Amino acid sequence: MKKYLMLVAIAVGFLAGIVLVNYLVGRRESFVQPIDFSHAVHAGKYKIPCMACHQGVMMRASAGIPNIEVCGACHSTPMKKTPQELLVYKYVSQHKQIPWYSIYHVPDYVYFSHRRHVLLGKLDCKLCHGDMAALTSPPKTQFLQIKMQNCWNCHVKHGVTTDCSHCHR
Amino acid sequence: MPKYGMMIDLNKCTSCQACVTACKLENNVQIVSEDDAQNGRAMFWMKMLTLEFDGDYPNIRPKALPRNCMQCDEPSCIKVCPVRATYKRPDGIVAQIYPQCIGCRYCMANCPYTVKVFNWDRQAQPVQMEKTYDPDVSVRPKGVVEKCTFCIQRLQKASEKAAVEHRKLEPGDYVPACVEVCPVDAITFGDLDDPKSEVTKASRDYRAFGLLEELGTVPKVRYLNAIE
Repeated sequence: MKKYLMLVAIAVGFLAGIVLVNYLVGRRESFVQPIDFSHAVHAGKYKIPCMACHQGVMMRASAGIPNIEVCGACHSTPMKKTPQELLVYKYVSQHKQIPWYSIYHVPDYVYFSHRRHVLLGKLDCKLCHGDMAALTSPPKTQFLQIKMQNCWNCHVKHGVTTDCSHCHR
Repeated sequence: MPKYGMMIDLNKCTSCQACVTACKLENNVQIVSEDDAQNGRAMFWMKMLTLEFDGDYPNIRPKALPRNCMQCDEPSCIKVCPVRATYKRPDGIVAQIYPQCIGCRYCMANCPYTVKVFNWDRQAQPVQMEKTYDPDVSVRPKGVVEKCTFCIQRLQKASEKAAVEHRKLEPGDYVPACVEVCPVDAITFGDLDDPKSEVTKASRDYRAFGLLEELGTVPKVRYLNAIE
């Protein structure tokens, strides 16, 4: 009987451990974006191309999150006076960068270039980022998870190089 | 597919160590602590092997030999790697994949030129080094082997630039940092398969030799002997 109880105790402890780890890991990923930015309004309703704001797509490895000067190009005066837009206007008028939380992180040992994929490879943004024009609030998770398997699948499918040193550095 | 190689003219080399410095900065090679350096754990991808000094002051002439990875055509390091962390690319560059490396150091033991270095520890770098950090190269973690890669990141950038401009990679588009920085042009770099390239011409010079050629590693970094 004692042995049975001990086994149960170990099992319960194990499960509690899993729950605790999940809770801690989950907490680390939770974040609140400073502004409830709507891609649906910008890219969907007004049909602003992605490259207008994410200006590094064609030129650099990183597409980049637009800085406040890019926002200020249109929002130098409030247009619609919605509460979210007034928040943007506050940042613009104070010349302060919006502290966006970036959800796409390429590891240090991986070389990923947007220019290579979008300009040279002629890939659609939707392939990795999903239909951003349908999102009314900033994405909470990565659409295509940054995992080597995902890169590999696409590279094999399209017959692109799978040489290690082309991506790993 | 080109085959990259390098010729180092020992007649021109003044052993100023500009290549050593440039390599260290270009590739974020770690500066180790004093204790580690004394234990022979100093990290250099390009190293100046000083052999002796010739002549009397002020007409002194150091006999030195800049030594980086020989980028062998028959590399002995890739034959012993159990995880294929080091391998030869089709263009002849012997690449090292750091996330793949398990740090067994078999390749270091098997390299006749002792060009590979091991990250024994990860030291905090001097504050002055922050500005020289190269974002194109990863900072290697503790416990992996690293070596000269002919500045593979420069090849990547140059080929990407050439592709954007709709042209082929021309000679001179891609040179490693040591070649670019050499003040006396002692190092020539280029395509060994191109009969017109400078490096091919230099390799046919009567002074040309390779280090430990008798081992059959076929080094693609070769030297022009210093002749008085």
